[in-house]
Amino acid sequence: MSAVLPVTSTVEAAAGSRLALRRFTRNRLAVAGLTVVVLFLLLCFAGPLLHSTDQTHTHLTQVNLAPSGAHLLGTDAVGHDELGRLMYGGKVSLLVGLASGLLATVIGTLWGAVAGYAGGWIDAVMMRVVDAGIAIPALFILLVVSAITTPDTWGLVVILGLVSWLVPSRLVRAETLTLKGRDYVLTLRAIGGTHGRAIGRHILPNSVSTVVVAATFQVADAILLVAYVSYLGLGVQPPSTDWGGMLSAGLTAAYSGRWWLIVPPGLAIILVVCAFNAIGDGLRDAFDVRGRG
Amino acid sequence: MDTLLYLTRRVLQSLAVILIVTVVVFCLLHALPGGPARGILGPQATAQQIAQFDHEQGLDRSLPVQYLYYLRTLLHGDLGTSYTLNEAVSRLIEQRLPKTLVLTVLSALAGLALAIPLGMWQAVRRNKPVDYVITTLSFVAYSTPVYFLGLVLVLVFTQLLPWFPSQAPQGDTLGQVLSQPNALVLPVVAGAASMVAVFSRYMRAATLENLSEDYVRTARAGGSRPRAILWRHVFRNSLTPVVAMLGYYVPVLFGGALVVEQLFNYPGMGLLFWSAAQSSDYPVLLGCVLVISVATVVGTLLADIVQRIVDPRVKAGRS
Amino acid sequence: MTADILRIENLGVTFSTETGEVAAVREVSLRVGPGETLALVGESGSGKSTVALAAMGLLPGTARATGHAVVGGTDVIGATEADLAGLRGRTASMVFQEPATALDPLTRIGAQIAEVIRNHRPVTAKEAAGEAVELLRRVGIPDPGTRASAFPFQLSGGQRQRVVIAMAIANAPSLLIADEPTTALDVTVQAEILDLLRSLAADFDTGVLLVTHNMGVVADFADRVAVMLQGEIVETGPVEQVLLRPTHEYTKRLLGAVPRLAVAEPGADSRRTEGDRAAADPVVELRDVSVRFGRGRRAVRALDGVSLTVGAGETVGLVGESGSGKSTAARVALGLVPPSSGSVSLFGADLGRTRGRARRALLAGVGVVLQDPVASLDARMSVAECVAEPLRVHRRGMPASERRTRVGDALELVRLPRALAHRGPRELSGGQRQRVSLARALVLEPRLLVADEPTSALDVSVQQSVLEVIAGLQGELGFACLFVSHDLAVVQQFAQHVVVLRAGRIEEEGSTATTLLHPRTDYTRRLIAAVPVPDPVLQRRRRAERRAATGVTA
Repeated sequence: MSAVLPVTSTVEAAAGSRLALRRFTRNRLAVAGLTVVVLFLLLCFAGPLLHSTDQTHTHLTQVNLAPSGAHLLGTDAVGHDELGRLMYGGKVSLLVGLASGLLATVIGTLWGAVAGYAGGWIDAVMMRVVDAGIAIPALFILLVVSAITTPDTWGLVVILGLVSWLVPSRLVRAETLTLKGRDYVLTLRAIGGTHGRAIGRHILPNSVSTVVVAATFQVADAILLVAYVSYLGLGVQPPSTDWGGMLSAGLTAAYSGRWWLIVPPGLAIILVVCAFNAIGDGLRDAFDVRGRG
Repeated sequence: MDTLLYLTRRVLQSLAVILIVTVVVFCLLHALPGGPARGILGPQATAQQIAQFDHEQGLDRSLPVQYLYYLRTLLHGDLGTSYTLNEAVSRLIEQRLPKTLVLTVLSALAGLALAIPLGMWQAVRRNKPVDYVITTLSFVAYSTPVYFLGLVLVLVFTQLLPWFPSQAPQGDTLGQVLSQPNALVLPVVAGAASMVAVFSRYMRAATLENLSEDYVRTARAGGSRPRAILWRHVFRNSLTPVVAMLGYYVPVLFGGALVVEQLFNYPGMGLLFWSAAQSSDYPVLLGCVLVISVATVVGTLLADIVQRIVDPRVKAGRS
Repeated sequence: MTADILRIENLGVTFSTETGEVAAVREVSLRVGPGETLALVGESGSGKSTVALAAMGLLPGTARATGHAVVGGTDVIGATEADLAGLRGRTASMVFQEPATALDPLTRIGAQIAEVIRNHRPVTAKEAAGEAVELLRRVGIPDPGTRASAFPFQLSGGQRQRVVIAMAIANAPSLLIADEPTTALDVTVQAEILDLLRSLAADFDTGVLLVTHNMGVVADFADRVAVMLQGEIVETGPVEQVLLRPTHEYTKRLLGAVPRLAVAEPGADSRRTEGDRAAADPVVELRDVSVRFGRGRRAVRALDGVSLTVGAGETVGLVGESGSGKSTAARVALGLVPPSSGSVSLFGADLGRTRGRARRALLAGVGVVLQDPVASLDARMSVAECVAEPLRVHRRGMPASERRTRVGDALELVRLPRALAHRGPRELSGGQRQRVSLARALVLEPRLLVADEPTSALDVSVQQSVLEVIAGLQGELGFACLFVSHDLAVVQQFAQHVVVLRAGRIEEEGSTATTLLHPRTDYTRRLIAAVPVPDPVLQRRRRAERRAATGVTA
């Protein structure tokens, strides 16, 4: 008797993902992006272990110091070490960006999948809601919210998630529409398969790559949005901070030549957002899915 | 005839979208501290005044009924009165909106004028150094917060190289704004940067896709030179989907204008909105959201219609 | 001796792919003289299209060519893009397979033809436009003056192919390369396009390199034939010799696998004797079914008052050209498309009125095989999971071990090794995939199999083996079959009863033997007359007869 092998699709899935991995690793920008993200995660989460600084109390004797051996990136207007602050604020930026980007992807995926699979008037109504959401510029809504309330960090994640799920919902809907018409789904329906099985076994697993790519771009946008939110005054409250908060706090200082207050957070935002975009680009090409250009 | 049918459908869809926007704004109105009464009577109103106002205005009725009341005031063009500026919101927006439109349209045109040739150049030189350099630059342009970019522009082009004024053109009328083109340069550049990034990526992708289409092979088989094929066939075919994306980009442009106007002190709707947010001037805030959203819907509709003119193919059944 | 217009010597083409170098063409040599047609035949992957593209210098950037391909005295291999541009469209032209995508969708067809003219001759835009209209007339576009300003999407597939041909002949080339020029077209349109190409080639004394997989087209058109297998030419010779007295094993096998439409001897008595049809115990029955897609003025009537029955154990062939509604009819029978009017009864129950559990129980008796071997199987599942899907839907309590056994049995039934169960669909060939689809369709031992063009995406040799499996199993298991196909020869071989659809209506129906030999309606007669048979002698007579009947003199 032959050994009973587990019936799985790992062989095939492995072959597909090996190819995707090879394509991804050949994309130099994408690999560079991945490296940058890993480095920044290390800096922000492991960095404070090596370079421990006090980010809660003010040190009025050491304000606005230029970079030196003691303070590699100088100090800010209340005497916080700028390098330590970069790590401290980066934690918030990365966490809020990742969490709200993923939240937006989850909401968008569910909304788009339901609309696309249901079709007909349900789809029409759901997509008009998306159109309306897109029509209201996110920054305007965020500024109105900031005039009404001051959320805590998790409240901020929820608010950012709620204003940015629209684009992924469109992508997933388009993907669902295509998959719904695939011959294997038609065959399943023709032999009496349930909608649940069609969605759970065929449509969702096959939209994974689209969703992963969308999520990567979504995280990039979310980190950028977090930076705007602090500028708009809706960000995390002092003494806590994030890169956007550091940047907008340093704006005036820049005119008086204290470049070390804006260059590090500015570069951090640009590098990390670029990195996530490059990763998304690489993943999209590797999975060969359509999405934003 | 078919076009008429399509237009009717798209206009009805747009009206539905605007209706949903009014629902969102209505909900925000009710989320205000003190509710709509506070929104209309102003921050100094007493609790008693608010209760009386609520009763008079039917605000103690069910929400759907209130929503219908709200729609009725909107239909009369009434967006309420600003607390701080003591003027009708509709009047304020009427003064400011054209200036914002000038800024966004100029940014969009400048952005496209740069993005389209860049994207095509990248596609033709795919995976060559030029492609990598432009790709990296567009990632950077996309990833830079507009306020940071604006600051850098101001530092470089007003302090280091005093070429442009750091303040946008001032004045109440469009004529006054347009008479100082020098002062418009930096705001337009700041507003156009991320647009260049996004649309050069779109154009690159669209051009690459079209370069691999069968009709390019047919043209080559007929003896057409690569350059002729690129400009006579690929360019137009790639432009069509990019024009369609323009509609979705309108809200991003307005979002950018919000920051740019604040940064350069440009007296448009974004600045109005910004100062309203600082003083919790709710009627102005919500009025602006409503008007900007309607402008976005109209912009999207226009982009769709333009695309339909550029592309003769009948795209039936696309929603 | 006149100089050959195309001379290919020791051509080799290698593609660099993500998995390494792949040699697509090896040591190919052939020649085409003026006014002569050489057919390059082979199955998918044989490298025949690559040879054609190499001769035009149109290979993609990932390809590397060695050897020589001399077109009118210029060696195309290694020529500069500028030299090639001077050659293409003037000395040598090409007609492609897919008329739907071969033309620029945003440029008017007259302008696209004029572009080819002006690429090579110093004429004014106005003169070129005039010539374009003349060319459109020449290729048989009605009202060419107006049609010249049409966009490609406003034309039918056959008309688009005529436009591509007009572009190809615009500068009276001495070589025309036609890569599967009629494969995407209906059989009646195919006959017209072949007639057009033949008359143009004769008028201009053009040499033609015809790339095709269709032996009927070869018999209809070619003077000489070269047979390709895995990148090499295995047999070359005059058309009569290769098609009627093949010497190479592969050519014999290929020709043996081609389904041949049995036709009444030309000029023979065409009276028919109507056999009785046992219509007892219908498995599926469409009663006066109409289907409309869309609403209002733009509504399309896909089916119009169609009634048909499939009896137990019987095979009914549903034939027609594209747009005839044959696939829609199959989908109505499966309950995938609800009829706008009329009713469907499946195993005696009204499908439209059965809901929930009862409907699912009803559908458990149905098996489905659709056309596209790639899209029919979910690439994220293993073969075993694909085949087991009906069991998971309808036999939820079945223990995993029994399910494995049933899946293995089903695979053996369709003559696939049990070990294939652990593979992914992407590792299988097209024929293997369609057999997996068939195994999935049969794993519940259905009473009805609905097969929508199950073999039309496959090569003939693979098609034959899949059809044999279906026919064998039908004898064994006794299921009824609704078989949709555009290929009359396949239906003739396979079905007892045939229904001919045309524009959503039933044109005629009857037992396959009599209907396809002695059709009653003009339409069916035209359809049958247009099918090219892979016998050059017989095909010449059929062509003459068809022309006499339709009044074509060209």
